[in-house]
Amino acid sequence: MIDHSLVISPLGALLFHLHQGFWLYAWPMMIGFVTIIGYQAVGRIVMMGAARWPVVFGLATLVSMLSLFGWVTMVRGIEMIPLYGCGVGLASAMMSRVYAITMPEISLPCYPKLKMRIIRIIWRGDAEGIEQLQRVLRARAEAAHRGASSEAGVEAARARV
Amino acid sequence: MKLMLVVLAGGLLLQAQGPVPRPAPELRIVEASGKTTMLSSYRGRVVLLAFISTQCAHCQRASLVFEQLSHEFAGRLQVAETAFDDAADTTAFTKRFGLTFPVGSTSSDAVHAFLGVAAGARVGTPQVVAIDRRGMIRAQSERLGSPLLQTPEYLRDLLNAIFRAEAGQ
Repeated sequence: MIDHSLVISPLGALLFHLHQGFWLYAWPMMIGFVTIIGYQAVGRIVMMGAARWPVVFGLATLVSMLSLFGWVTMVRGIEMIPLYGCGVGLASAMMSRVYAITMPEISLPCYPKLKMRIIRIIWRGDAEGIEQLQRVLRARAEAAHRGASSEAGVEAARARV
Repeated sequence: MKLMLVVLAGGLLLQAQGPVPRPAPELRIVEASGKTTMLSSYRGRVVLLAFISTQCAHCQRASLVFEQLSHEFAGRLQVAETAFDDAADTTAFTKRFGLTFPVGSTSSDAVHAFLGVAAGARVGTPQVVAIDRRGMIRAQSERLGSPLLQTPEYLRDLLNAIFRAEAGQ
């Protein structure tokens, strides 16, 4: 309660409310969003079966650390709960439109010997991408079915998905 | 129906708080050394008074802000704190945070009476009160606490506004 006859610059109060607004509302929403995106992305990459275990371990560790960091910085009051929920909901809604996340190996055009993995998102509306993914998954299943001698086939499929 | 109205009226009474501006009631600040200071003895200076709990983290942070402001506005501003938590060790509190302004203690009832809050109503800490040179309360925390009145930037603006208002009179 402030005496309204006092002429106080609104800047201090504005900065304070912006600061409070960010930490109480925007931050929990970002944490909820990033946590769900992270866990779902790791889950989907694992489901594709192509990523090697150190990559899966590294990604899962990173996402867990990120979400726990977020939670320890946001447990301040119950006013943070609704927008945390909105962030989770928004991320879940967005991820429901994602068909798969893969990590194909690509060669750099400038230096073809150097290969690197990129994260590729296949959206539900991307018919061509889905078909290509299904072809690769079928090829991998067939290669696995042929037995240990087909390691090269599995490796080839892994490189493409 | 009657019972509901009585409960509602009781609830509203507990929510009530003294208006601002209003004359600051008298308050006795008793320091651990036994030194007693009456709030009215600060008349002629702007006073930043906080009712704190020595265990509360917000009060501890706010105390550091008040210490900083007491140096910035030295000679024009009197800062004082009064703890009202049970078994408050104000000596240890003052020493731990390096506070140079008086930190005393008082009863919870005295704090409620000063703030114009119903006895027994829940009060958030710290409760910050800004009193002008004439002894009028010009700003006071909401009953459950006002984080805005714990930030150095806003308190600086508030104190400058009080000084300006008094210079203009």
